[in-house]
Amino acid sequence: MPTVVLMDVSLSMTRPVSLDGSEEFQRKNLAVHGLNMLFEHMASNYRLEFTALMAFSSLWELLVPFTRDYNALQEALSSLEDYDKTCIEAALNGVNNVVQQEWGSGCPCQVVLVTDGSLGIGKGSLRHSLQTLKHRGEDKKFPLPFPFPTKLYILCIANSEELQMTDAMDNLEHLLCLSGGDGQIFTMEGPLCMKSVQTMFGRLIDHAYSPFHAVLHCGNLSSDVQVFPRPEPMVVDEEVEPMPRAVSTDLEIVGFIEIADISSPPVISRHLVLPIAVNKDVDEVGAAATDELEDEPSATQMAGKSPNFCVLLHGSLKVEGMVALVQLGPEWYGMLYSQADSKKKSNLMMSLFEPGSEPLPWLGKITYLGPVSEAAENPYGEDDSKSPFPVQPPAKRSYAQNVTVWIKASGLQADVQKILRNARKLPDKTQTFYKELNRMRKAALAFGFLELLKGVADLLERECTLLPDSAHPDAAFQLSHAAQQLKLASTGDSQYADFDHNIAPMHTDFSS
Amino acid sequence: MKMFSVAHKTVFVVDHCPYMAESSRQQVECDVLTKSRAQGVIPLAPVSKSLWTCAVECSMEYCRILYDVYPKDKLVNYIVSDSEFHILNSWRRGDQSTHELMSALAAVGPPNPREDPECCSILHGLVAAVESLCKITELQHEKRTALMDTAERVANRGRIICLTNAKSDTHVRMLEDCIQETILDQNKLAAGSDRLMGIQQCELVLVHIYPQGEDTLVSDRPKKEISPLLTSEVHSVRAGRHLASKLNILVQQHFDLASTTITNIPMKPTLNVCEQEEQHANTSANYDVELLHHRDAHLEFFKSGDLHMAGTSTRENNFKETVTLKWCTPRTNNIELHYCTGAYRISPTDVNSRPSSCLTNFLLNGRSVLLEQPRKSGSKVISHMLSSHGGEIFLHVLNSNRSTLEDPPSISEGCGGRVTDYRITDFGEFMRENRLTPVAESSHDPSGKVPVERAKAQLERYTRYWPMIISQTTIFNMQAVVPLANLIVKETLTEEDVLTCQKTVYNLVDMERKNDPLPISTVGSRGKGPKRDEQYRIMWNELETLVKTHAGATDRHQRVLDCIIACRSKPPEEEERKKRGRKREDREDRAEKNGSKEMEDKSWQDSERLKGLLEKGEQDAEVIKDSPDSPEPLNKKPRLMVDEVQPPERAKGPVSLLSLWTNRITAANSRKHQEFVGRVSSVNNKFELYQHLKEENGMDVHENGKASR
Repeated sequence: MPTVVLMDVSLSMTRPVSLDGSEEFQRKNLAVHGLNMLFEHMASNYRLEFTALMAFSSLWELLVPFTRDYNALQEALSSLEDYDKTCIEAALNGVNNVVQQEWGSGCPCQVVLVTDGSLGIGKGSLRHSLQTLKHRGEDKKFPLPFPFPTKLYILCIANSEELQMTDAMDNLEHLLCLSGGDGQIFTMEGPLCMKSVQTMFGRLIDHAYSPFHAVLHCGNLSSDVQVFPRPEPMVVDEEVEPMPRAVSTDLEIVGFIEIADISSPPVISRHLVLPIAVNKDVDEVGAAATDELEDEPSATQMAGKSPNFCVLLHGSLKVEGMVALVQLGPEWYGMLYSQADSKKKSNLMMSLFEPGSEPLPWLGKITYLGPVSEAAENPYGEDDSKSPFPVQPPAKRSYAQNVTVWIKASGLQADVQKILRNARKLPDKTQTFYKELNRMRKAALAFGFLELLKGVADLLERECTLLPDSAHPDAAFQLSHAAQQLKLASTGDSQYADFDHNIAPMHTDFSS
Repeated sequence: MKMFSVAHKTVFVVDHCPYMAESSRQQVECDVLTKSRAQGVIPLAPVSKSLWTCAVECSMEYCRILYDVYPKDKLVNYIVSDSEFHILNSWRRGDQSTHELMSALAAVGPPNPREDPECCSILHGLVAAVESLCKITELQHEKRTALMDTAERVANRGRIICLTNAKSDTHVRMLEDCIQETILDQNKLAAGSDRLMGIQQCELVLVHIYPQGEDTLVSDRPKKEISPLLTSEVHSVRAGRHLASKLNILVQQHFDLASTTITNIPMKPTLNVCEQEEQHANTSANYDVELLHHRDAHLEFFKSGDLHMAGTSTRENNFKETVTLKWCTPRTNNIELHYCTGAYRISPTDVNSRPSSCLTNFLLNGRSVLLEQPRKSGSKVISHMLSSHGGEIFLHVLNSNRSTLEDPPSISEGCGGRVTDYRITDFGEFMRENRLTPVAESSHDPSGKVPVERAKAQLERYTRYWPMIISQTTIFNMQAVVPLANLIVKETLTEEDVLTCQKTVYNLVDMERKNDPLPISTVGSRGKGPKRDEQYRIMWNELETLVKTHAGATDRHQRVLDCIIACRSKPPEEEERKKRGRKREDREDRAEKNGSKEMEDKSWQDSERLKGLLEKGEQDAEVIKDSPDSPEPLNKKPRLMVDEVQPPERAKGPVSLLSLWTNRITAANSRKHQEFVGRVSSVNNKFELYQHLKEENGMDVHENGKASR
């Protein structure tokens, strides 16, 4: 989930923080300090996150486009300049553009807005934006909610008492609410100083940027892993039972399925599964291996050399073309597979299915998937030529069962012509002729379209008179038999117009 | 869409009064004469459908699309009204199919034009519809039972679609009032009943049908609220294709559907899309097919405002919008795992048209098609995929945005990434054995565990002892151990399985006697690695570790362990004796052990069979694998790893007869031969004393290793 850091560089951020003695700080310094702390944390614990840095006042500027280069981000922070007034609406429009351009409209994003709680004055101020919310044309809509799912974190270099003295807090809460309500407002506790800004950013880190650690189990084999990005808890939007679900820290493999059988299933999110060193005081993350290793056999190097289940699993999944079905919690499943992003690099990935007992219709209920060994006969066949998947639904869909639809005249004409075409090839086509005739008869009876039965009967009688001399004598018998049966059905008399009745070919003695 | 929105229950009420027997006055030419046959033949007069036929076939089409897209729990109750009401099906899931409905409609037949119009009214049907909406469905019942305390969260909403020929606007108002009153009455009734549910919301959609060429007596009216319980809308439509397209629009509105037109479908014979019959038509022509599906399949377009770019076209004469996606070659194969964010069932709008059925058959045959979103720039963006699963066709939404997971560290850079001798092939085999298969819900397991729990239990058993790298294991590198290793993980063993395991063990004993080489990793030791007898000791230790983890499962598992302990516990002097090659006697010995007392004959047979097995085993016993690119030396001895996973020994349980017997024999044998040690193995009457101390020292290292943990 990419992050956009939106830094307020308006003049009010240069307000000095009153400190007894020592150095004098501006609010901006505090903000920069906090952000540096965030970036350092991400560099060591969350470095796969893409982050962009934007500065705004009445205008906005993209200082660092989305990157994993946290040095670049920190460098940009050190060279911030001061500008005029705060204009959040314009900045949010900027965020919208930057994110959509890079990630499209479906990718969830985190926005970290760092401001001092003085939200501008007059036109362009947040207060003004919110007041005029309802009187806008289509083209000047307020940028929130963004088209992409958003988590909005507002970090105020101010304490909550200060914010509550004005309407700033109300306005920020309104803003959070507009963005969809997912996010949080952080304020500073106690005096404005380095320590309290650290505490505030520490809370943000704990809340949104702590790595997700789990244990991947396959029976007695297991591996400590980091799942990146963090799987977010979700509420299953079921009107009757709104239940919040979170991915368990024990990921349990339940079995394996061929890629062809799982067949590009829909997923709600994708995550990298990175094995981490069991030794807890080592700085985890697979990415750590890319670090320069100055010190002699470091823990990561050691970790690289001791066998890890993830690597074994990844290798075999890749070679066999299979996925592992993994349980994430009660009635929630996902799959593990090998994903190659280029020919050289491949990785263990985990995709999450929609929570529920039957996320994929073609697998059936997951709880009713059992081990192959229990089946009386290997459902994959002795030579892997078969598969028990996909699970067939109890009923066929309309396109798989030759339904009759006469809404368009062409549909009706095609069915009548098909009967006539076969009528001309009697007795060779006797079976097809009666099959088509009966299909037409059934539909005509259901639709109450008796006139059609009479019409087709007339057509068959006419065909009978047009038979060439060379025609097989059986043809004439079958045609007049069929015509007579249709005529009887067209009376609507229940004796002849039974839906389940089929007109059978007439028994003749020419068959020799 | 919520589970219990108005879409959960739809009641069709179709007018069966004499008036509906009137012709729609839309004529269909069904006698299309080919030129060659046209001479002298008088074409058949065109036929025309009655208002009833039009109403029925359009409502069936509505149901067809509905059932295609929502095979479950979007329910239809079909009611026909004349001098009384006829309910053609129920809310039961088993009653939900167009075939059921068609059969019931055929039984009703067309309206009787000679019936007294005064007795007939649509009202009978509408009242029945309200009553029907109060009836509880299976899903409502299930959810109410499951929720218990919060059962009131299960809502009861529904929709009535009334196809009729109304007399005037006043008549329509009268019908609305009547429904409103019936709802109030029924809700009172429902309040006192367990089987009925009061209606919380009802949506009336009244479709007035009139013949072509007539003026309508009823005016269209958008949805309006009659009461908090009832909303009503009126559509005045001419019979025939206007009615059909109206109901098509309604089904889309009612069930959140959207339309996609697949364009540029090649119908070339080479692609096998088209049947032979029509090949002559125009082989190079490309066809379009329109599909309906849940509108979320277009979510990305709506959000990004890309809809226009995606080629929305507004068709003349109706308000329908469709997104155009282009058929894309090359096709995809099914062993590719696409990143797919949604999959939605489809229904073709024109199900039995030639292009539609060609496309659907193509997909049902197991092929998938990628679809491309046309862009002005000419760049290709593949946004969707059509694919069938189990006879159902789905429109998959593919992610076409930049991935946030790009350029991740390769797995080889992380933990365990430097290890090169993983047992990849073996784990592949393990995965095949642990594949899943659907189990019938009706099948009951005595353990009371659901199948997926049994699958997990199997994984647990199979992984009790599973070394991850080749240099950590000896036994899994030996073909000779395979039969035992495959069997011992089973939940239960048959007598035959035990026998197979024992044979495997005897086979190993035989190998040891013949001093066959073992595929022991030489990694970690300089020179030639451990001596041959040391190798066997490692192998036996490992085998014992494997079997011990299962010994507690059943007595038969225990017997396999006992067999191993018995066979390997021969003191060194006997080993020496064996080296001298008294094979025959040995074999008899074993046969004795193997067979049970009362079946002397059988034991002989067994020993003969064993002989064959042994000979065969000798050929298989060669090293099956070793890693040529073994990694740099590991500082651990493999057997230390073995010790790591050793589980606590099995609690003292009953000892099997076989183990009692084998223990006794072993003990007796060792006693018998003890005094011959020096003599038997002396060379030129000289014999090195205290040989066994060396081995015990070796053992000491081992024990220490164990103790230190």
